[in-house]
Amino acid sequence: MARELLTGPNFSGRSTGLTARLRAATPASAFFVGPYAEAALSGLSSTVADEIEIYRARPQPVRPAFSAIDFTAYAARKPPTLSGGEQVLLALHCFSLSHCRAIGIDTALEQLDPANRDDALAYLSQADTRGFDVTLIDNRLEQQDGWTQTAMTGSADVACDPVAATAGLAPCAAPVIAIERLSFGYPKGRTIFQAVDLALEPGRAHRLAGANGAGKTTLFKLLAGVLAPSDGAIRLDGAPYAPWRGGNRVFALATQNPDHQWCGATLEEDVARRRAALARHGIVAPTPDAIARLATLLGAPSLDAHLYELPLAARKRLSWLWPFSGTLPWIMLDEPTVGQDRATRDALASAVTRLCALGYGVVFITHDEEFARLVDHRPLRLEHGSITA
Amino acid sequence: MTPNGAIVFGLLVITGATIARDLPGLAVVLAVAVVFALGSGKRVVAALGWSAAIVLPLAAFMTLVWVGIVGRAPAEIASGIEGSRANAAAYVAVIALRLFVIAFVIQAIFLRFRGSTPFQFVRQVSAPAVAKKLIVLTLSLIETILHAVDRARIALIAAGLITRRPSWSNLRNGWLLVQTVWLTVVTIAIGRARDKWPIENTLSLIDGALTDAAPRRLTVIDGAWSLLALAGAGIAWSMR
Repeated sequence: MARELLTGPNFSGRSTGLTARLRAATPASAFFVGPYAEAALSGLSSTVADEIEIYRARPQPVRPAFSAIDFTAYAARKPPTLSGGEQVLLALHCFSLSHCRAIGIDTALEQLDPANRDDALAYLSQADTRGFDVTLIDNRLEQQDGWTQTAMTGSADVACDPVAATAGLAPCAAPVIAIERLSFGYPKGRTIFQAVDLALEPGRAHRLAGANGAGKTTLFKLLAGVLAPSDGAIRLDGAPYAPWRGGNRVFALATQNPDHQWCGATLEEDVARRRAALARHGIVAPTPDAIARLATLLGAPSLDAHLYELPLAARKRLSWLWPFSGTLPWIMLDEPTVGQDRATRDALASAVTRLCALGYGVVFITHDEEFARLVDHRPLRLEHGSITA
Repeated sequence: MTPNGAIVFGLLVITGATIARDLPGLAVVLAVAVVFALGSGKRVVAALGWSAAIVLPLAAFMTLVWVGIVGRAPAEIASGIEGSRANAAAYVAVIALRLFVIAFVIQAIFLRFRGSTPFQFVRQVSAPAVAKKLIVLTLSLIETILHAVDRARIALIAAGLITRRPSWSNLRNGWLLVQTVWLTVVTIAIGRARDKWPIENTLSLIDGALTDAAPRRLTVIDGAWSLLALAGAGIAWSMR
């Protein structure tokens, strides 16, 4: 049984190498956990219970289950309603119950909170005794004892320079965000926020931390107007702001899965539509040429390239385009370093630091401790329905 | 009740609704379906409401055409007689009620098995493996579309193109939502078919999961409900 860590920068051929190893495994004995849900879960189930049932080995599982969270409490939930980290944990749980003898994980563990990540790595480290092979891509993992390290040397890197992308930005006077007694719960679900009070100050970065499924992304959705609170209010410099009624005109959001934010099939289409929406709010967006230059600095081959034909890591980088354009005063980055190599992560940290120095407000969610250390930030912890500084 | 028994019951009710030629006959079949739904507990009113919501657009359109514009029932046109708007209205009512009964009995069956997941329900149905697999794939596609709607809404709302609440922006950019949903469905499906399924041979996994649970045989309760549905269909037939 083998444990292999594929290393290298983005576009060095790690993903291709991983899938090639899995395809070489005995037919129907490999399990693949892709970087995002569509490639982590089967897509054939309506509920978490069904997802587990599809993979469960018969007559009984061949190895101890990996159960970082109790999925019996999630049995009736639809898999896409789980958070990104919970979906990865579900995929690992399904693998542990299956008869599969090989597992490949493409950067998915980067979405896990530290405790769950440690549990997952500990489980995978026992591959020898549990009778399976594991191939792992993980940008945050150093050499591990007992793991074979294979450096991928493909040289198809796409130039991405977040520091240069933010170089020409003008100073910004972002408003103070005051969240007052904000409450929210999903229909038929648990309460996510209970009378939360929070002030977000411009000119600095705020890191929102919490366990997988705590509701970090839900806060971003509330601020962007995607969800409406059951109670409470948001104020900008003291004035009421309700994006769930009038639309979002303050927050530039880069989603955890970049594919959750495209408004068109090509970047050109996406840009044109966003520009039109911003214009209706009276917000002046950078010129098309400036946007094109920015996109090039973030690695876009051209504006008319089909977004979904680009590698996922490249799409993730392009998801920073609007946050780095200087169009909106507040920037929300949801797990910005997932799938990104160290060089890009370091450059991203520098760009975020520069945005703060220019007066923009930044809120980011990350489980990447190294990235968090590189950005001077105010830590916020989301736990049991409240946010504590 | 077993899934197989529920399907037999549903087919008999649908047959009864199809052969009923007038409102009293359809009322009998509907009564059987309502009694069945009541046995499932609550939510019957919601099921009735959803059935009405499904049928109402078609009923409104047919009323406009047959009662408002044509003014005669199709049978009267075929016979070459003058006809009346009252007969046209009765014709529309029969068609609408028939569809209502069909929509309602399908929901009543779902209500009866709301404690089971769709996969568990399909596993216990007696049908060829290919048919069961097709049902699972169809359900998967429905879930994918629902997920895509959610994803597309997030993207467009966060970008300021549409709003959560009804607005002019939503009317103006509604087509963008439709386009984004379909683009998302296609990309999700391609992603699975290219990355996940070929590596795992995932589609073969569901074969094992579907055939693992032996379909349950029909029970006495299944028989009783089927007899009731058969009786309703018989009464509807005799009232023709």
